[in-house]
Amino acid sequence: MTQYALRRTLQALPLLLLISMVIFLLLQMTPGGPLSGGEGQTRSSRNNAALEQLREQYGLNSSLPVQYLRWLRGLVKGDWGNSFSSGRPALEVILERLPTTLLLTGSSLVVTLLLVIPIGIIAARKQYSTFDYATTTFSFIGISIPSFWLALMLLFVFSFSLGWLPSGGLSDVRNRAEGFDKVLDTAKHLVLPVATLSLVSVAGLSRYMRASMLEVLHQDYVRTAKAKGLHERSITYKHALRNALPPVVTIVAIELPELFLGSIIIETMFSISGMGRLFYDAAGRSDYPILMGILTIAALLIVVSNLIADLSYGWLDPRIRYA
Amino acid sequence: MRFLSRLGIFVSLFLTLSFAQQQGGTAVIALIQEPGLLNSFFGSQSAVDLAGALTQEPLFIADATGTYQPLLAEEIPTVENDGISEDYLTVTYKLREGLVWSDGTPFTADDIVFTFEVYKNPESTPAGAAVVAAYEAVESVTKIDERTVEVKMNGVNPGYLELWQAVLPAHMFDSSAVTDQHPQARIPLGTGPFIITEWLEGDSITFERNPNYREEGKPYLDSVVVRIIPEKEVAISSLLTGDVDTVFFITAGDLQSLSEAQENGQGVTVILQDTKSWVEWLWLNNADPNDASQPHPVLGDPAIREAMDLAIDRQSIVDEILGGFGSLTGSFIYSGFAAVDKPATTFDPEAAKAVLENAGWIAGQDGIREKDGVRASLRFTTIAGDQVRELYQQLIQQNLKDVGLEIIIDNQPANLIFAGWGDDGLYVRGQYDIMMSRAGYAIDPASWASEFSTAQIPSDDNQAGSNAVRYANAEFDTLVADAAVIADPEERKALYARAVERFAQDRPALPLYSSAWGWVWRDTLQGVDTNWWNGMWPSVANWYIEQ
Repeated sequence: MTQYALRRTLQALPLLLLISMVIFLLLQMTPGGPLSGGEGQTRSSRNNAALEQLREQYGLNSSLPVQYLRWLRGLVKGDWGNSFSSGRPALEVILERLPTTLLLTGSSLVVTLLLVIPIGIIAARKQYSTFDYATTTFSFIGISIPSFWLALMLLFVFSFSLGWLPSGGLSDVRNRAEGFDKVLDTAKHLVLPVATLSLVSVAGLSRYMRASMLEVLHQDYVRTAKAKGLHERSITYKHALRNALPPVVTIVAIELPELFLGSIIIETMFSISGMGRLFYDAAGRSDYPILMGILTIAALLIVVSNLIADLSYGWLDPRIRYA
Repeated sequence: MRFLSRLGIFVSLFLTLSFAQQQGGTAVIALIQEPGLLNSFFGSQSAVDLAGALTQEPLFIADATGTYQPLLAEEIPTVENDGISEDYLTVTYKLREGLVWSDGTPFTADDIVFTFEVYKNPESTPAGAAVVAAYEAVESVTKIDERTVEVKMNGVNPGYLELWQAVLPAHMFDSSAVTDQHPQARIPLGTGPFIITEWLEGDSITFERNPNYREEGKPYLDSVVVRIIPEKEVAISSLLTGDVDTVFFITAGDLQSLSEAQENGQGVTVILQDTKSWVEWLWLNNADPNDASQPHPVLGDPAIREAMDLAIDRQSIVDEILGGFGSLTGSFIYSGFAAVDKPATTFDPEAAKAVLENAGWIAGQDGIREKDGVRASLRFTTIAGDQVRELYQQLIQQNLKDVGLEIIIDNQPANLIFAGWGDDGLYVRGQYDIMMSRAGYAIDPASWASEFSTAQIPSDDNQAGSNAVRYANAEFDTLVADAAVIADPEERKALYARAVERFAQDRPALPLYSSAWGWVWRDTLQGVDTNWWNGMWPSVANWYIEQ
């Protein structure tokens, strides 16, 4: 298995290089460019000369292969270039957003799993029961609702109308909390965004969990277990659940990169400064170093999470062998 | 004696008590678009204005009428007070006494000199809004004493009060080669009432009280927090519920609902500004997009431009789409000291048709006019995704169709339209027929007017040229060039008035409407006034929270 993991890692390197080359070219091909003017700006000729100087400073006047190789060399050395918009090192800007995004998506993942697994199990065990129908209906609604609309509705009901929860950000800027109060304050700010994010993924994932569980419950060995008089609970949790998990784990693992990349919509609606917003803002400004940084991390995460998904099969299902 | 001292104690106690209600607290400002740099010498996004008002003060500040008042300067230099030499080529600026930066270092003539050195240094990147065209006429800046600088101009410089809208603290720099990567370019040290203490990108910018602020007891607030709320709807709702105290900034589209909120007693104050804000323009490409040396096959005909001017129902745009928040202007210089009050062209589709008939544009079978085999068909481009704009774009399309002009809507993303020459920006490269975008207002029209001079037509040799409509008129060039180097305001006004007439006759661009603008804040925020060109922000030292 170690050998398998090593081989997969080595295979990933040229793949990542190729991906970075393609995204570099794609970014350059997108219309517009960095350091371009905004609407209605009056510029003096000194401003224009300064912008020319900045283009030079950021190496934008070199040919594309030169720009790419320079970027690659910097990447290897740990210098990811500087953001065109703030002049700060791109890696620093990106890493600054990571904890916020992880807090948001991580909490949402925990909530999602805590809901999905029991819902899937119960819905499968009591197929065609009221609970099953209720969760199915909920799933269809949840999958169909656009998340920006859900975010707006939750904001208007729980924040603007009832005033129970804050309307955005991650802390109360008027009364800065310290210590344990700070944790409570952050939790309060997380309720609505996490609820929005989780609702959508619970809706989708609980279907998978139910289907997977149903499949396993109809297997012969489950019947055997029942026949030899095992307790229902023991069958479900000891035998069936473990075998029903791999497909769900695959999906969660493949979605892992999103954990790091955040959600543009949720972060925008709830004024949270995560990776999603950083990417969106950088795309609007053609801030290549930031975009390249995020996309490279994304490519890396996708490769890694696929590897993790493959490796976790072996742990969950000892029948699977790696060659 | 004892009585007096007791009275003194009583009075000071009374003052302390009455001020105690005002001191302290935090004002929260919602900001929709976060800039990358907060120093207005380096950053050009509009939010830089906000940070500037809190931190980075100018030598002279414009009030709501566009008249400059001394702020860090002691007085306005004039010929009478010997601030300006007889030949207008030397201006002496005198600083206020006892000025200090927020870190306690004295603010002196050296800082003024240094700021100009940064401007001059070719390795610097002063791309910000405070780097105005008026600097181009500055030849040298010399320190006379700690509080006095003498500035030699290489020509009469009517923009002498626009200089040093931002001053850089010399003691924070090792050299005058300053780029956007210097920490001061992002977070400037200033003399203003607040200090930038924390900037969590994408989340908030915290400003704390400047303990060295020159006015005793001010600012009243302990801190101002700028919260970045990218979704405008959420920002406005947060204002109405009191989560934030004001929003930077309110556009015409928001005024209607906010005014209603004020009438319904939702605890907000809305102030509409009288001065004209930005104007929405139709930029007409005067040159052929395929060959810039030739006139545009359709728009090159003055009759087409005149007919368009007559055929557009501007009042309907304001009344039906903008909810009445906006006004019309026919003037190319509509605000600032040289503003010309010229009414917009009256909507008259019949006259437009007559103009076209007389010029030989005859309607074909499908109702679209033709002349010498050229079909009167034009592409109409604006920023894609701007819903309000798209509404009146369709109105204009219909108006023009009614007089026999075909309009094909071809909207594009902003960063493609406004990209530079090297990135094939549509506007600067002239790859459009009609472009709709807004242009800002200016107190002094010198740089705005010169943007339309022939020398500013963009080309391979002049990639930063601003005259993207490719308007070329020798009389206009002369008027604008002369007006920029004359000291007498009345004489300048007269020249600009003639330039406005010339522009209106040639119609290289058509003004659509002037946007309404205003300010809104929660009633609990007191001490706000909007008597400034930049609205409510310069009054921030006087803001306090009503308990």
